[in-house]
Order: sequence, then structure tokens, then C-alpha cells
Amino acid sequence: MTGRKLIMTFPVTATSHGLADYRARGGYQTLARALREMRPEQVTKEVLASGILGHGGAAFPAGRKWGVIKLNDGQPHYLCANADEGEPGTFKDRWILENAPHLLLESMLLAAYALQVRHAFVYIRGEFDLPYRRLATAVEEAYEAGYFGTSVCDSDFACDIVIYRGAGSYVCGEASALITSIEGKKGYPRNRPPRLTVRGLYQRPTVINNVETLANVTAIVAQGGDAFRKIGTAKSPGTQLVSISGHVQRPGVYELEYGTPLAAFIEQECGGVLGGARLKCIVPGGISTKVLTAAEIQTLSYDHASLTAAGSGVGSGGMVVIAEGTCMVRLLQILLRFYHHESCGQCTPCREGMGWMHRIIDRIVAGEGRPEDIEQLARISRANDGTTICGMGDAAGYATLGILAKYRDEFDHFILHKRSKFGGRLEVQEQALEQEGTHA
Amino acid sequence: MPEFFINGNAVQAADNQTVMQAATAHGYFIPYFCWHPELSVPGNCRICMVEVAAEGQAEGEGWLDIACNMPVTPGLRVFTDSAKVRARRKETLQFVTLNHPVDCGICDKAGECKLQDYHYAYNGAPSVSLDAKVHATKHHDLSSRIVLDNERCILCTRCVRFTHEVSKSHALGVQDRGDHSLIRAVGDGAFEADPYSDNVIDLCPVGALLSKANLHQTRVWYLKPTPSVCPGCERGCTINIWHRKSEWRLKALDPRRNARIDRVTPLDNTAVNGPWICNKGRDLARIFERTRATQAMLKGRPAELQQAISAAQALISAARQPVALVSSWASNEELASFKQCLGAQMRCFVKSDCQAEPGERLQDALLIRPDKNPNTRGARALFDALPADASSAFPADTDLVLVWGEGFSFAQLPPQARIIALNSHLQPENGHADVFLPISVQTERSGHYTNFLGVTSAFTACFQKPQGVIDGQALFEALAVVAELVSP
Repeated sequence: MTGRKLIMTFPVTATSHGLADYRARGGYQTLARALREMRPEQVTKEVLASGILGHGGAAFPAGRKWGVIKLNDGQPHYLCANADEGEPGTFKDRWILENAPHLLLESMLLAAYALQVRHAFVYIRGEFDLPYRRLATAVEEAYEAGYFGTSVCDSDFACDIVIYRGAGSYVCGEASALITSIEGKKGYPRNRPPRLTVRGLYQRPTVINNVETLANVTAIVAQGGDAFRKIGTAKSPGTQLVSISGHVQRPGVYELEYGTPLAAFIEQECGGVLGGARLKCIVPGGISTKVLTAAEIQTLSYDHASLTAAGSGVGSGGMVVIAEGTCMVRLLQILLRFYHHESCGQCTPCREGMGWMHRIIDRIVAGEGRPEDIEQLARISRANDGTTICGMGDAAGYATLGILAKYRDEFDHFILHKRSKFGGRLEVQEQALEQEGTHA
Repeated sequence: MPEFFINGNAVQAADNQTVMQAATAHGYFIPYFCWHPELSVPGNCRICMVEVAAEGQAEGEGWLDIACNMPVTPGLRVFTDSAKVRARRKETLQFVTLNHPVDCGICDKAGECKLQDYHYAYNGAPSVSLDAKVHATKHHDLSSRIVLDNERCILCTRCVRFTHEVSKSHALGVQDRGDHSLIRAVGDGAFEADPYSDNVIDLCPVGALLSKANLHQTRVWYLKPTPSVCPGCERGCTINIWHRKSEWRLKALDPRRNARIDRVTPLDNTAVNGPWICNKGRDLARIFERTRATQAMLKGRPAELQQAISAAQALISAARQPVALVSSWASNEELASFKQCLGAQMRCFVKSDCQAEPGERLQDALLIRPDKNPNTRGARALFDALPADASSAFPADTDLVLVWGEGFSFAQLPPQARIIALNSHLQPENGHADVFLPISVQTERSGHYTNFLGVTSAFTACFQKPQGVIDGQALFEALAVVAELVSP
């Protein structure tokens, strides 16, 4: 139903995250073989051939990012795993960190080998407790087993790893803010140029990949880039861990091969909408992607090309299911409160714009909205598009414009009648649903 | 030397320049708040957005990016004033002024505020927002010298970067995040101790950082700058002394305000001080506005100036072994005049007029130098330095000593020697001289100082000298008349 699997290939048990179980599944054999048989540039070649796109949200080809690093250029290179999974609705990296930390570590070692990295970093979200403990234990196990240190797998490749815990900032999940934070400074994003692969952490060439992107490297090296490319669709090779939540019967993390039909996945695999309600819309990939209405997703398959064509994106794989009867004005209020709270405050349009949008939506919800407020929200969103240092301002704008474009009538209704069209509901109410006879 | 195009005109940029640097160097104006030529590029104000057109794209079809962080590449096509750019600036200014109090009427920065200027040039529209403004701390003391208005602050971080990159005190930072970010000083008093702290007042593009000494004292359009040189140390930083314009002379209130140093700002000079000066330079009023000596005296008794000059002439012509202690605060012109008029018949030594005050920073890597006199180098080019043991400068039969300037105790002089003292300020020792002559201060005359690097900088008179005071040059010429008569 959901296609082939690359990461969720084993049943989760009480010990499946440990080194012994990972080895029993064939763990660290790809690393040992690569160190024996492959040169660093061959590993990068396989990743480039696999065509894997970044899983953090921007979908930048990982192989091209790696290709920028010049080997033997006489300066240290750094590798960071971005485990600061903060996009609302997204909790897929958490699954990897909790259940397959050694897969991440083996992949990071392969990446470190390919990029001539002596020191690798994992920047892990501060709120992650179990994931952090599991990862920290895995790092200790890996060091004891000789997978890290001065002689990885008894080869002359040396690599050390540092886990760096964030302190609760959404923006620190942005690559340049992440390295600024590792450097011990306030987590402000940096302007490009220079790109981080040219001057990143400590002003050295740095590759920053999402946890899931890195976790795929072991599979890519194990089966070869060309074989990997045959999984998924032509333009979206591989699989995507989808964390689905919201008004859905069976929330959780699912691994989807790209190209899986989207509506069928939600209806069958995830059991459809909670309480049997009708589907109103979904947020396909973290709240920064535009919402897709129930009608729009009927024909969509889950891959980059298809979702981009529909005006949204795979994003970070954080899918939120929204049932019919949910107040989109209240939903936007929650999103804008989040963006206001998380704006780092460095550059003007986002610093001022997020608070502005938040105040406007608060006013609308308080029943004091004015008709021109809707256009004002759209204007602020557009004024943040491409004008900020990082993508946060854009993201808030996309989310806002997406909801405004598709549910404009709810905003008009709220402003005109000073109350929500749907009673301001955010939860599915069984009774209400029964009365309306909206059972599927 | 990459060639690129601004508004369709070819421009030669230097290697590694950004569009902002190249445009500024060629006279194209791109507005900016956070950018500063001497500081790092944070790119946070977003007002310097320009349009970049790819090959084949016309003006209006390109994309927008910030000029301050855009490297010049050969053939790059940039538009600084396209319709797209103007629309973007307008939007950005709406953001900047969103929670800005627009209290220009009571803001000391009004008249020289970038936000005010850009608003009139690029926006001009009232705020689009109809919501109440978000309030913040209106009066926060960053140090005993500087007050911060968080509502006016646009978080450009120029002040933060200054303390990290130039003064190296690391004393300021941004606290909290988002639109509740606040500029704050670190808790250990580093900003209070930073001798360059007042530069952040000039750096602030809006009226957020203000000098407490000048708070609500005057509007800047009543003031005019006169180029001058800071006499605080041998660096000789070039400065602007701001004082009331003559057309705005106060007739009521306190007329002393007409001849007052209202503020001191750096005069950008790459050869000496760049765009910075230290806090001592800001406090020149403390040096120049001490109580002035305006009364000539003979042995402590008031006398007419002319009478005192005649007495000095008599003493000089009668002296057989005269010694002169020359001021290291004198201008090159005064020194030359002294040498020409009196140098032949007096043994001359350069004395150090001022020493570091207790607690004053002696020297550092940025500007501050150990010698606290402005023209020691200029004076020593003409005269010998006073030996460390001052008494060795005076032969046993010294019968006359001319002490020019302050900072020299008469107790070190041979008891039999008569004393001619030249000083600008009222000091007890003035009355102990046989002849005391009040002379003008730097702000009342024009001249040049030569700093420790050998760079000569000019200062210009700002004020009239008080009644009864004479310029050094005029005095030496008057004294020379007698000297010529006596010499064979």
C-alpha cells in the first residue's frame, strides 16, 4: 500500500534501537565495506547518482550539496545533522532518533568519510528528551565498538561526533542559524553568500543535512545510487517518512514510497478522518506549506512534482489532517501565534510582520476585524516573500496566503458576523457531526 | 576590476567589493540603516534592496536582493531606483515604522535621523496599520552616559557590532527575540567602562541611543559643526565641534549657551581616527569650559593687559639668562611665532601640559595614546624636550622663566627667577607669577596640530575670545618688538 521501505524496515521492540539489534540487522557492514572498498569521492558519487532530495523541507539535492565540498583543500570540513525538528506537525526525525539512532550514526560516518570530515555534529532539538537519550547512548555504544574515534572500523579514517542540544528555537533549525548556535552565538540566520558549503561552521566548508536525508545514505551506499533511484518516482527518488497528525484516526509516522496515492494513504492506511468526519483539507508538509483541500488531493500522488504542481510541497513530511467543521480563522491564528513567537527578530520584515499579522488575526477572532484586514494579511505575507534573511518569513506568508486563498469566505464571515462560521472549533465534535449527518 | 552596471551605467568596481560599496564609491545612493563601512554586514534592515536583472531581463523583470551583501560580478545589472525597488522600500518602511513611536517632536535625533529622511524620501504615507503600537521601555540607562529608547530602536545592531568589532568591550547584545528583542548591556559594567561607548550614539541611525549629557538640550538644526582637533591625547583625532549657529543666537535665556560646546562628533579621517573618537573627546567642554582667566595680573594684582605686556617686555629685556617652557598644547603657528620672536634669546623647552587623570585609560590598540597633549611632536620639532628632572633645565643664574600653558608647578623653578605665566584658565598659581597674561584657548583660534604619526590636522575658531584675553601669536609679536630693540 505505501510501497517499499528504506528506514522503517524492522519491527520496533524494546531493544531494536540498540547496537546489538542494529548489528543483527546488518548494521555498520555498509560502513566497513565502504571504508575497505570505496574512495571518499565514490561515496559522494553514489549519493549524487541516487538523486536524493533533502528531507528537511527545501528538497535540495543532497548529492549536489556534497559535491561543492572540495576534497584535500587543506582545511577542515564539518558535517552537521539537523535534528532540530521544529516544524509544527513534523515528528519524523524523532522516529529515527528514537528507533534507529545507529542508522543515523552509520550514515553520518559514511558522509563524514565522503566529505573528509573529522568532526561531525548533531544539533538536536532541546525539547527532545527520549530521542536525545537514545542518541547519546548510541554514540557511547558506537565509540565503545570502535565506530568513532581515531580509527573507525580499524581503518585510518578518524571521526568524532558531538551532540549539541538546542534551547528551544524554531529558527535554529535553519541551517545557518543552527551553525551560529553551535558556535555559541545567538541563533540568527546568516546572509548568503557565502554558502555554508563554502564558509559554514567556524567559517569552514560545512554540510548540513536533515536527519532523514542522512539516514538514507546507508541504504544508498549499500544498494548503490542507481538502485536507489529506482525507488519512488523519477523526480522524487526514495521514500519519505510522513508524520501524520490532526483529525486522523491513526496518527503516527509512516514511510511512504514517493508516488503513493495521497488520498488512499489517508483514507486506508491512516484510517481516515477522526470520528468519521469528512476531510476538509490537509497541510501536506509542515505548516509552512500551503493547505490542500480535500478535492485537490483526490488525484494527487505523494511526491515532489505532484505536490509542487498543486501549489504546495512535500516540505518536511509533517502532514496535518483537518476535518470538515474546523474554523480556519482560528487555525490561522494558531499558526501566526507560532510564527510571531518564533521570529528571531533579526531582520525587519519578519520581526515586525509576524507580530503585525498576529495582532490582526487576534483582533479578527476577538470580533473586531475590519474588511481590509484580509488584504492587509495578504500584503504582509507578500512583503515577506523573499525579502528576509532566512525562509521563515516566506513560510509564514505561504501558510497565510494558502489559507486566505482557499477559505476567504470564513474570514469574510467572521469579520461580518463577528463570530466563526464553525463556532471557532478546532476539535472534531462527534455530536455535532452526527447532527449534521456528516458521517462518511 | 570587474565592470558592472548600475541603472544602466557602467561602473568599475574594485575587487571583492559589494554592490553597496561600489555604488557608494561612485556616487549612487542606496539607503541603509544597518550597513556601516567599518562594521560587519548583518543585512538585517532590508532597506538596501536593489533589483538585479539577469541577461535578457529588463528593468522591472529582475529579482530583489540586498546590496550590502551582494558581491559585484562582471556584467551584473543592478537597478537602485526601479518601480519594484521603490515599492519594496515603501513596504519595508511600513514595517520599520510599525511600532516606531514617531515622536520626532521630542527626539534629539530629529533632523539627522535616517528613518526620518527615508520616510520623507521613499514612503511619505501614514502607517497602514490601524492597531495600537506595541510599547517598550522608553528610557533605559545603558550606562551613566547613554540612554536607550527601545520604542525607537530598529534593531539594526550597529551598536552591538561596534562593541564587538571595534571597541572590543563586547558590552552590548540583543536580549530576547522577535519583536520583543531589546538591546541591552551586559551585567558586569563593561559598557560603563568602555571608553568608546559614545560612538554608538553617532552610529544609531535613529534616536534610540542618546547622550544623557545632551538629552533635550537643543535641536540639531540650531547647531553647526566646526572642524577641529581633539587635544585629549597625541592621536589628535579630527572632530566636529557643534555650537549654536549665529543666526539662532539666543537673546533671552542663558546667553552663555551661544558660546558653548553643545556636542563633539568624530570627523571621519582615515589617516588618524577613522570615524571614531573616545569619550574624552566627547567631553571637551570639560576641558575648555573650565573657568577662564580673563584678567591680566602683576604679582597677583589685576592690571590692564597692555600694562602687563609692558611689564613682561621689561622683564625680558632685563633678563640675562631667560628660560621658556613651551606649551605642548600650542598650535604649530604659535610655536613658529614663538621661535621666531623669542626663540633666539631664551633657552626653550617643551613641557607636558597634561598628564592622564586618575582612572583614565593610558593607551590601547584603537585610538588612545599615552601622551595626553595634542602637539608634543609639533613642539619638539622646534624645541628640546624638558628633561625628566626639570631643575636641570634651569642654569644656576636663571633670572627669568616664561611658563606657557598649565601643568607646571612654580615650586620647581629657581627661587631667584622672575616668572611670566601664560594661561587660559583660572588657577591659583596664576597669581604667583610676576606677570600673568591670559591667552585664548583652541576653540577661539585657528591653527594646526601635528600628531604622533606626523599627520597635521587643522582646527578652526568656533567662538570669540573673551574680553581681556590675547592670542599667543599676537602676544609673542608684541613681546618681540622689545626683544629686537635689546638684541645687538
